[in-house]
Amino acid sequence: MSDLAKEKAARLLKKRGSLSSLGSHEVRAKETFAKTKDSISTVSYMEEPGHHDDIPRPAVQMENTYQLSPARRFPVLTVKDILKDVLTSYLQEEKYEPELCRQMTKTISEVVKARVKDLMIPRYKIIVIISIGQIRDQNMRMGSRCLWDETHDNFSSHTFKNSSLFATATVYGVYFE
Amino acid sequence: MDDDQSAEETAFVVEEVSSIVKESLEAVIGRNPYEHKRVNQWMSSVVEQCLGQLSKLGKPFKYIVTCIIMQKNGAGLQSASSCFWDNTTDGSCTVRWENKHLYCIVSVFGLAI
Repeated sequence: MSDLAKEKAARLLKKRGSLSSLGSHEVRAKETFAKTKDSISTVSYMEEPGHHDDIPRPAVQMENTYQLSPARRFPVLTVKDILKDVLTSYLQEEKYEPELCRQMTKTISEVVKARVKDLMIPRYKIIVIISIGQIRDQNMRMGSRCLWDETHDNFSSHTFKNSSLFATATVYGVYFE
Repeated sequence: MDDDQSAEETAFVVEEVSSIVKESLEAVIGRNPYEHKRVNQWMSSVVEQCLGQLSKLGKPFKYIVTCIIMQKNGAGLQSASSCFWDNTTDGSCTVRWENKHLYCIVSVFGLAI
């Protein structure tokens, strides 16, 4: 039943949000589907955190570092260069095709995450969001707001466009206190 | 003191978050068609309302809320996210919502402090 609902949602929406599933342990994406009179909504999320019955891990006790602020801040411009570089190299000559772009979004997000990790910025959590869309005379708006610590957390984003597709990449760096 | 806190209070609960998001989408956009002049204001309202409700939950989380509003025109859109965080405490939730005239994708990322 849930598979049928999933397929129907995919057909109706004609696009998919995909969650990266590459990792050292298994993460499962779940979806629920709801329909009201005028709108349809689908919720998808990774397997609930904290409920890892199959991988019991002892709670990690963290020592106090007495450190109030990060040693190195999130390097916005360096990350923007990484995004520019990755997007142009992967998408310069591509045309929009659903299957190819689906794979491409996942690949690019993993590549960007790996390169930002290589910068070795200690105590920062990284979130990478990639969207690739077809250009077809439609109008679109993307926005985001964050509830975080202004002084330590930051983000970097870049947009790439060619004749048949556009791609936006955003990287958020959040300090882990 | 940390042992006394129950797991539910400090976990990212997807149902709560998704219902907050759906409510604010219904309230702000509802049945409206895509209007270029108003979409900016809708986006701000949706995201700020979500963030306001999330902060009222009172959990020790930093939140990132992103919203994409797209006109229904037959064009395709693919979106992916990749996160480097602590899998036991952090979580994300994506709500894809549509009405007759537009699509809306709202993603909420919650990172434990």
